[in-house]
Amino acid sequence: MNKSPSPEYQRVYVWEQPVRWFHWINAAAIVVLGVTGWLIAHPPAFLSGEEAAHGYWFGAVRFTHFVTAYVFTANLAFRLYWSVAGNKFANWRNFLPLTSAQFRQVWAVLKVDILQSSNKPVHTLGHNAVAYFTYAGTGVLSLFQIASGFALYAPTSASGFPQLFAWMTPLFGSEQNLRLFHYAVTWAFAIFTVIHVYLVFYHDYVEGHGVLSSMIGGWKFMEKHHAQAEQASGLSTLVTRPPPPPPPAGLAHDPPARR
Amino acid sequence: MSATAGRIVVDPVTRIEGHLRIEAEVKDGKIVDAWSAGTMVRGLEIILKGRDPRDAWAFCERVCGVCTTVHALASVRAVEDALGMQIPPAAELIRNIMFCVQNVQDHVIHFYHLHALDWVDVVSALKADPAETARIAQSISRWPKSSPRYFADLQQRLTGFVQSGQLGIFANAYWGHPAFKLPPEVNLIGVAHYLEALEWQKEIVKVHAVFGGKNPHPNYLVGGMPCSLNLEEPNAINAERLALVGRLLKDARDFVEQVYYSDLLAIAPYYLDWAGIGGGLENYLCYGDLPTNGFANLPGYKFKRGAILGRNLAEVLPVDPRDTQAGIEELIDHSWYEYAGGATTGGRHPWQGETNLKYTGPKPPYEHLDVDRKYSWLKTPRWKGHAMEVGPLARMLVGFAGGDTEIKAAVTEALGALKAPPAALYSTLGRTAARGIEARLCAKWGLEFFDALLALVKAGDTRTFTKERWEPSTWPAECRGVGTSEAPRGALAHWIVIKGGKIENYQLVVPSTWNASPRDARGQRSAYEASLIGTPVHDPKQPLEIIRTIHSFDPCLACAVH
Amino acid sequence: MTTPTSGTGLVPTIYEQVLSRGVSRRDFLKFCTWMGAYLGLEHGAAAQIQRALESKRRIPVVWLHFQECTCCSESFLRSSHPIVADILLDRVSLDYTETLQAAAGHQAEEILRDTITKHRGEYLMLVEGSVPLAADGCYCVVGGRSALDTVKEVAAGAKAIIAWGNCACSGCVQAANPNPTRATPINAIIKDRPIVNVQGCPPIAEVMAGVLVHLLTFDRLPQLDALGRPKAFYARRVHDTCVRRANYDAGLFVETFDDENARKGYCLYKVGCRGPSTYNSCASMRWNNGTSFPIQSGHPCIGCSEANFWDNGPFYQRLPNFPGFGIESTADRIGLAVGAATVGGALAHAVLTNVRKRGEIGPHPGEDAEKAEAADQGGAS
Ligand code: HEM
Ligand code: HEM
Ligand code: NFV
Ligand code: SF4
Ligand code: SF4
Ligand code: F3S
Ligand SMILES: [Mg+2]
Repeated sequence: MNKSPSPEYQRVYVWEQPVRWFHWINAAAIVVLGVTGWLIAHPPAFLSGEEAAHGYWFGAVRFTHFVTAYVFTANLAFRLYWSVAGNKFANWRNFLPLTSAQFRQVWAVLKVDILQSSNKPVHTLGHNAVAYFTYAGTGVLSLFQIASGFALYAPTSASGFPQLFAWMTPLFGSEQNLRLFHYAVTWAFAIFTVIHVYLVFYHDYVEGHGVLSSMIGGWKFMEKHHAQAEQASGLSTLVTRPPPPPPPAGLAHDPPARR
Repeated sequence: MSATAGRIVVDPVTRIEGHLRIEAEVKDGKIVDAWSAGTMVRGLEIILKGRDPRDAWAFCERVCGVCTTVHALASVRAVEDALGMQIPPAAELIRNIMFCVQNVQDHVIHFYHLHALDWVDVVSALKADPAETARIAQSISRWPKSSPRYFADLQQRLTGFVQSGQLGIFANAYWGHPAFKLPPEVNLIGVAHYLEALEWQKEIVKVHAVFGGKNPHPNYLVGGMPCSLNLEEPNAINAERLALVGRLLKDARDFVEQVYYSDLLAIAPYYLDWAGIGGGLENYLCYGDLPTNGFANLPGYKFKRGAILGRNLAEVLPVDPRDTQAGIEELIDHSWYEYAGGATTGGRHPWQGETNLKYTGPKPPYEHLDVDRKYSWLKTPRWKGHAMEVGPLARMLVGFAGGDTEIKAAVTEALGALKAPPAALYSTLGRTAARGIEARLCAKWGLEFFDALLALVKAGDTRTFTKERWEPSTWPAECRGVGTSEAPRGALAHWIVIKGGKIENYQLVVPSTWNASPRDARGQRSAYEASLIGTPVHDPKQPLEIIRTIHSFDPCLACAVH
Repeated sequence: MTTPTSGTGLVPTIYEQVLSRGVSRRDFLKFCTWMGAYLGLEHGAAAQIQRALESKRRIPVVWLHFQECTCCSESFLRSSHPIVADILLDRVSLDYTETLQAAAGHQAEEILRDTITKHRGEYLMLVEGSVPLAADGCYCVVGGRSALDTVKEVAAGAKAIIAWGNCACSGCVQAANPNPTRATPINAIIKDRPIVNVQGCPPIAEVMAGVLVHLLTFDRLPQLDALGRPKAFYARRVHDTCVRRANYDAGLFVETFDDENARKGYCLYKVGCRGPSTYNSCASMRWNNGTSFPIQSGHPCIGCSEANFWDNGPFYQRLPNFPGFGIESTADRIGLAVGAATVGGALAHAVLTNVRKRGEIGPHPGEDAEKAEAADQGGAS
């Protein structure tokens, strides 16, 4: 390996600007919702001996939670739209386990990255299948938080939108139970964040494809031969500069290019 | 079945709490045997298992809404006993005030709304002379309402009601039965006070609302009481709240003295024959209550603990609810339960008690229960193998026999007013009289506790809760406790076993369980069954005499079975 | 328009009876207005209530008891607005109620039979308690008949049903896990009659009275929410009108009972208050003629007007335990455990990566070249 010739890298435009915006708004909203949610669940006792008329911090925390909830919801709705309108890396098909190739990739990734029983890296330009599915899972949890959150919010809201989710409450037996689930899913988000950020660093560290910065600038760096192999396989279309001819229809995701 | 012999079934027994069925065997116009059955079960002891002991009081309180609060009290005491918690003095006083209010309210409701229609003939009241009624009423009490005009108006309302042809709750009753003995005027007083008591009872329970947030089912708390005392705070028990409590307690005392107790003394003389009927058991049991120096300090109790056997007032025997060898046990020989191994007979001390429902009676609808085998949802409690009567009568007797000055004076005064010997207490009438005597004491004590609370607040000790041992992390891995009380209907205890922060076992043995239970393995009858033996039955189709004696116990079957 | 005479002249109307009971016309009108206000009716409704009470005969009512604690009856008796107790005891014809009726046994059963046959389709059926469905109904038998039998028979001829309290509406404490008798609420048994669920354990007295008066007056059900509760009394959360609400918004909370904060009347949220998810009139109407309500007196709301509230405990913890896990497994314990495992896993994985992927990470192909270059340059200088 050491003796391999210094590879030529190709700069690949993966994350379009809307995806990047989405990502960081989403990340920020999750952090804000998580923190305010945590405060709602466990308000700290930093005031005492006060008069109620002198403060409104808890009200403000809840207000922040609800405003951020709307941002979070709108942002996610936009991302859903972009999964149809955006480039192949943003396409919704990637996120659903539809092909056997995806399943094969899941297995390969588990062996390479998680169990580390194989040393043949899986090179993908978008995410690998495991990551995509995880994001889909996170998406479902986001939808759940939105539905449960707005259902909890509905009784105190005069506007119509939250009422659309009022059906959630009877489904969970009681508001109290729904709250519990809304609360518990917060843990899922916290845990996702830990794994996600760790893996982003991990991939950057191990593969050196610029994953970390790709969510800022949009570009990744990929060994030309991998990139071209993918391109040649016809299963993947790379957005390079200058842009290539329009991609063929079909699955956006590619089977791992093996060395 | 002849007119004077055969099996009488009274089901439902009405004007009680819960679902009670009495079957009685009548011979020559007298009851020769009787069976008392509880026909509804909920399984609360099963439901309590595995829960947070600090929540238990709320579950237990729902055992009964008539004697609401008493199970909450017994429950918090059981948990505090298990965890070794001592509640602050103010919490003890607040609990005592609530206890007195419960006792008085429950007794008044019982006397007028559950029991009076056994003695007072509503229809006869229509014939009363209002002026004469007023004269009698004024002669027995200085209650300010007793004017001729007042009784005339009432009588007119009553006439309108009866003429409407829609008799509502008074329909199909035993009006005109020869066992009714009151003159029309006294009947009219009874009806008037029936309505007044209804108005009044909702006032006195406001004391519960002040300290516990609502009635029925006020809130309690393991470790004290949930209300805080702060004279300067609108959201706490402040001066205005205390003033309200003070006024309500005074009104309560006046009502008990001038209405309830006076009516009792006015009606009883017409029914002195009932001082010789319905005595039943000769054993009485009382756990004691109204601690003035901590729950663990028995001598400080206003109602003393003790037992009387064979009506021997010369000796009050000590009672230990923790005695697992020769103390209290509950048997299932005639009850629809079984033990884990499949055994269907025998007894257990409540700490080892089990509640596994196992119905073996006839499939409903049925005409008769199989009284030779199992016939009730109540278990059968025994103390050292004896069947015991519990209740106001037991409390008065234990206090009387134990030489308690206040109780002795109150009992003696009542007996004097009725010109009756102490032996008259062992009867249907005696039970009803004991309840009135006791309500009088409780009304008085309520005010005393209130004054003590004010003094405590003045002295600056406003603590109502101890947070020591609140957190399960401070609890022992395993512990057990017993919370005793004197509910309106008698000796009440909850036994709890806590393991790993959860309820491992929870058993209630309730006053009405003692009194209304089926017989034991040796055929010894419990109080209801025993008291019916020898009761005359004028017309087996009209079970008035049966319900008189049964009502004298103030049955509560939701309590008894739970 | 509102002549106080009855239709037949034979049977006194409610109004006549009220008058004959020494209640003044002024009091009567006041009562009508009060009722209108509590039922949330617009202004003119008081006149309508008044007309209805003036011209109607007392409607037959049967009140059944099953698995219950009789607390709903007790609460009902506490109804405080002067005429309400009268209206309910006397203005309806309460033909059957085990708690209060004079007759017992066969005589009592006879009244029940009479009422449901003679007044078929006219009587109101009020139910207190749940109905046990397990074991052929042997867990609740009255007069030798199972509760299930009775409830079906009486419901068949009822004009409407009022389910009193959590027992009849949701099964209440006896339906709490593991519900040993299969205690079942009325609405799960009777499907073809109008049912009003008057929730609470017990419901507030004046709420009970209010619902009855609504039925009597307008001859139709009040507006109900999705759970069958009258909107007039169950539309708002306890939290929304709570006396401690300002403290909630200000983030001022009781930390333990009777602490400094409790004495200052702070919000009970952190000691488990269920007010934010409980729909009831406690905070607005209060209990016992406006004397207080649980939260005012320092105890958190336990949510007693909500279905399954007994299994949403423990009460002094703000969120319930996670269903399906052991009792002390709160969401936090599970979350913490998984979270810790995750962080630990990530750390272990990072170490493993540096061991197993040395080759890949080590001298990277690109870096190799750079290093070589650097070495070259160093060598050259
Ligand atoms: C070092 C910082 C981070 C980097 C480099 C990074 C990178 C990425 C990348 C490349 C994606 C794929 C985007 C897509 O397909 O839309 C992604 C997705 C995602 N990231 Fe991050 N991320 C970072 C931090 C975070 C944080 C802090 C959060 C949340 C707290 C977060 C939440 C998410 C979520 C929810 C997705 C899935 C979104 C989707 O399905 O499109 N990320 N991240
Ligand atoms: C990632 C998304 C979200 C997270 C992590 C999150 C987290 C939380 C947490 C931890 C709580 C405290 C629960 C409790 O202990 O009672 C909470 C409460 C709540 N959340 Fe969210 N939430 C999210 C999204 C939303 C959304 C989209 C809404 C929509 C309106 C929402 C509405 C609410 C409401 C109404 C409450 C109850 C607040 C109260 O008690 O007044 N949440 N949330
Ligand atoms: N028996 C009984 Fe109770 C009482 N008093 C409770 O312990 O009534 Ni419901
Ligand atoms: S709802 Fe509650 S208060 Fe009413 S009967 Fe049932 S347990 Fe008692
Ligand atoms: S005490 Fe309960 S109901 Fe009142 S404001 Fe606080 S959380 Fe809400
Ligand atoms: S516990 Fe019940 S009484 Fe009201 S304040 Fe809560 S709903
Ligand atoms: Mg028991």
